[in-house]
Amino acid sequence: MSTAPMTAYPTPPEALPQDGMSNGKFGIGLMIVSEITFFGTLIAAYVFYIGRDINPPYPQDVLEVSIAPFKVLFNSVFLLISSVWIWLAVRAMRKGRMGAFIFWWALTVVCGAEFLVGTGMEWYDMIVNDGVWIGTNLFGSGFYTVVGFHAFHVTMGLIVLTLILILALLGHVTPRNVEKIDLVSWYWHFVDGIWIVVFSVVYIFGNQAIT
Amino acid sequence: MRLAGDSEVSTLETPIGPATGRPPFLSQLHEWVTTVDHKKLGSMYVVCGIIYMIIAGLEASMMRWQLAWPGQTVLTPEEFNRLFTMHGTTMVFFVGMPILLGSANIMIPLMIGARDLAFPRLNAFGFWLFLFGSILLYFSYFGGQGLYGMGSAPDVGWFAYAPLTERTYSRGHSTDYWILGIFVAGIGSTATGINFIATILGMRCRGMTLMKMPLFVWIMLVDAILIVIALPPLAAAQIMLLFDRLLGAHFFDAQAGGSALLWQNLFWFFGHPEVYILILPAFAYVTEIIPVFSRKVIFGYPLMVAATVAIGFISLGVWVHHMFSVGLSPLINAIFMASTMLVGVPTGIKMFNWTATMIGGKIRFDTPMLFSIGFLCQFLMGGLTGIFLATVPFDWQVSDSYFVVGHFHYVLFGGLIFGILAATFYWYPKVTGRMMSETLGKWQFWLLIIGFNMTFGAMHVSGLLGMPRRIYTYQTERGWDLWNLLTSIGVIFQIAAFTLFAINLLHSAFKGRRAGDDPWDAWTLEWSTTSPPPAHNFDEDPVVYSRRPLWDLKHPEDPDWKYE
Amino acid sequence: MTEPTHTKNIREIELPQPTASPMVTAFGFTLMVAGIVTNWIVAIVGCVIMFVGIVKWFGQSNPESKEMPAVPAPKPTPIVPRVDGVAHLISDSGHRARLPLAIHPYSAGIVGGLLGGVVMALVAVGWSLAMHGSLWYTVNLLAGCMLSDFAEQTTEQLYAFQTAGIIVGVMIQLVMSVSVGLLYGVVMPLLPRLHLLFAAILIPLMWSGLTWASISVINPALSEHINWLWFVISQISFGIVTGWWIIRSEKVSTMQNWHYLERMGIDSPGVRKMGEAE
Ligand SMILES: [Cu+2]
Repeated sequence: MSTAPMTAYPTPPEALPQDGMSNGKFGIGLMIVSEITFFGTLIAAYVFYIGRDINPPYPQDVLEVSIAPFKVLFNSVFLLISSVWIWLAVRAMRKGRMGAFIFWWALTVVCGAEFLVGTGMEWYDMIVNDGVWIGTNLFGSGFYTVVGFHAFHVTMGLIVLTLILILALLGHVTPRNVEKIDLVSWYWHFVDGIWIVVFSVVYIFGNQAIT
Repeated sequence: MRLAGDSEVSTLETPIGPATGRPPFLSQLHEWVTTVDHKKLGSMYVVCGIIYMIIAGLEASMMRWQLAWPGQTVLTPEEFNRLFTMHGTTMVFFVGMPILLGSANIMIPLMIGARDLAFPRLNAFGFWLFLFGSILLYFSYFGGQGLYGMGSAPDVGWFAYAPLTERTYSRGHSTDYWILGIFVAGIGSTATGINFIATILGMRCRGMTLMKMPLFVWIMLVDAILIVIALPPLAAAQIMLLFDRLLGAHFFDAQAGGSALLWQNLFWFFGHPEVYILILPAFAYVTEIIPVFSRKVIFGYPLMVAATVAIGFISLGVWVHHMFSVGLSPLINAIFMASTMLVGVPTGIKMFNWTATMIGGKIRFDTPMLFSIGFLCQFLMGGLTGIFLATVPFDWQVSDSYFVVGHFHYVLFGGLIFGILAATFYWYPKVTGRMMSETLGKWQFWLLIIGFNMTFGAMHVSGLLGMPRRIYTYQTERGWDLWNLLTSIGVIFQIAAFTLFAINLLHSAFKGRRAGDDPWDAWTLEWSTTSPPPAHNFDEDPVVYSRRPLWDLKHPEDPDWKYE
Repeated sequence: MTEPTHTKNIREIELPQPTASPMVTAFGFTLMVAGIVTNWIVAIVGCVIMFVGIVKWFGQSNPESKEMPAVPAPKPTPIVPRVDGVAHLISDSGHRARLPLAIHPYSAGIVGGLLGGVVMALVAVGWSLAMHGSLWYTVNLLAGCMLSDFAEQTTEQLYAFQTAGIIVGVMIQLVMSVSVGLLYGVVMPLLPRLHLLFAAILIPLMWSGLTWASISVINPALSEHINWLWFVISQISFGIVTGWWIIRSEKVSTMQNWHYLERMGIDSPGVRKMGEAE
């Protein structure tokens, strides 16, 4: 304020009360918190309905018979490993190695896309061969809502990742942007992390429950 | 929309970019539509909130007209159902939420010595989502039977219990409008909540450690955290409901094994924190106002912080008290009864701290203080009946009766709206540069006290006499006539009070006395800049040494920082 | 950076430029959502509008946020020290003194509450024995405030010993006695005079009146079981014992003028009592 500092003031306040965290980190971190409560609600509803279905087909009929667990596991590995690739990409960028950045980033996009394709094939299989759709029974409602919203988040992430990849290829992304790129990677880690929960609930926990 | 009527002090008129050379009205409009300034966005929130308050108030008045005497036929049952649904939904989502977001928008950056929120454009996005979402909900009235027989306004109550909301029972699109309108506005509120937290944690001025923040900012921080945690579950539940209605999913469809109880759980997991999201800002307002008008420092600052945080935590674990009468196990009921009563402890601490601040003070009974004292009395009543309702046997007796309606109006009207009125009279000079009329304000206060207690006090009695909520009429032999008549007469007083308020708001914007920078001789940073503040808030970055930086400057011989 | 104030040229302050892109994006999103209840064409149009908004928004904030310099504005009136002094609540205890300066110790409130609670319980049980010949009747009635299934019990059942009744009844009595005792200890020093009259007669009478007025409406069944004369007598016995115990305790001063180090029990020579002259 406008008056001169008084001699009596004991200690001038430290530079700023907040340390290190940028606004962007707070913003993305909190967005992830709100997304977690969103997914938490969907998953809570899914768990609530495990074993309460009164119409077939039940999860174990569909998820085990027609979809080999191996296939889903295979897709999941692609998604989860992409977290490593994106981490390597950001690390490369911090060191100023743009070529390596583009390589790892592109690998992330490819892995994410593989996961989406896998999900699409699984859904096709379930809808066409098993005849399970969202309106079939409680399992269908829960499965397509939870897995669908996760796939939706993967899609959104993939679009952003792809746009960044294009911009990077055009030379518009420089190591100066590393903070923003890092925040995008936070989001991608979140999408991967939530998949671990969804996978455990839907394919492992919910699959073994007796109806 | 423009609140600032003061061209010589204001810097808002600076032509920016493409706005130059347009007719004054258009350039003004362009300025408001494109603004990312937290003060302007906050003012727009508040103005829209007040407009919706008038709309929702008129909806309530129509219901009271219908219920004034037994056997009235002013409204059809269908219209009555739409009115109470829209009244509740509007008051919660389009009056309470925007006014709290707006006030926090204006005040947080000013109080912490920042130039704007952390994400100014996201802030604008949040505001427009709220506005368009609310318009989408109200469009359901006009959409009417037009396109594809969309149905009229929602009529399923503000908590939209399943299975009434399933497509078997709720034909047409009215419930879809309810879902989508609130969904859109809810995304905006969540974004703004994130914005507030990032601002408070990341943009405080030099010297403002967490324990030197004004309590307003502390309470808004907890409020924003609740918003971020509690609103997304509502969005998730609404999406499940939407899938039920549009895609034929079975989440809340009892015939396919779905559970109506799940909706109640999910809704109230949002709904109870929501009422704390609504009441905490009222706490924030009076916590700033009472010390200034008692000329004393707030009693027990650290305890206030702790109580606020405790309220935030506990409020996430009490939602089942809305469901005591659905037949859950006695153990669950007992647990949630205990946790609900636990909320009374931090809330009681706050009540004591406010009164302890007033004791021995040199109290000035200006309008902001009057409304704050009104808040204390009314909210105390609402809080006490809340403790009654937390007791399971009592809840069984009066659940879904007018007693509950009376109770939550004492909390939300007597609490939140009185707080909002106090805050309006207190900060109006800062936002517009002009004072509101004290005479009109005092008339409004007394009219409102009479009308409010008449209306909602009588509701307690009719509720105890067994009158259920949401009935569109009743027979005379039930013995509710007198109490309903009293309730409806009280509305007349309230309408008079709010008419005075509207006149006061508009008239003072042009003709009010010039306020100066610091009309109340207050102590927080917002009063150190001009009224209205310039777009950049402060010419120089403020530095604070205590919780009351302006006290330190006004009384260098005995500054606050010696004590903190 | 140790200077408490530092002046910036106002033109150096940067603010984000106004932009319509958030509004356009929000509008597009709302239209997209509205398409669900109207027509898919609305949704497509909304999608396009939202896309335009996002692109514009992206351009606004990348690679650097588009900013503009602040516009000079009138200066606020400088805040000058007040010449008129501050009226102190209590002389020489600084402007932050709080009332009351001394309170009865919390322990007095707790012990007083417990004592009062015991005496009150004795009176109530005495009534129960004298009028109904049952030791457990009052306890069960009290427990009935919380235990919903007690409402369906017959008078004979209420006369009998019940474990749940004892546990809940004693718990209610304990919690209520201690909380009211604590309140008494804090509130009584604030009353100007006639402390014991307030504590012993007026507050119990007010409480009894409130209970009588509400119970008969809320729970007529419970109300029929209550003998109101004895109710008042037991309340007053609580008030007398608790009030007497608290008043005879010695007041302790609040630690409001202490340095927080002192309050934590750290006693070092460098610590000066706050508000003390230097
Ligand atoms: Cu609640």
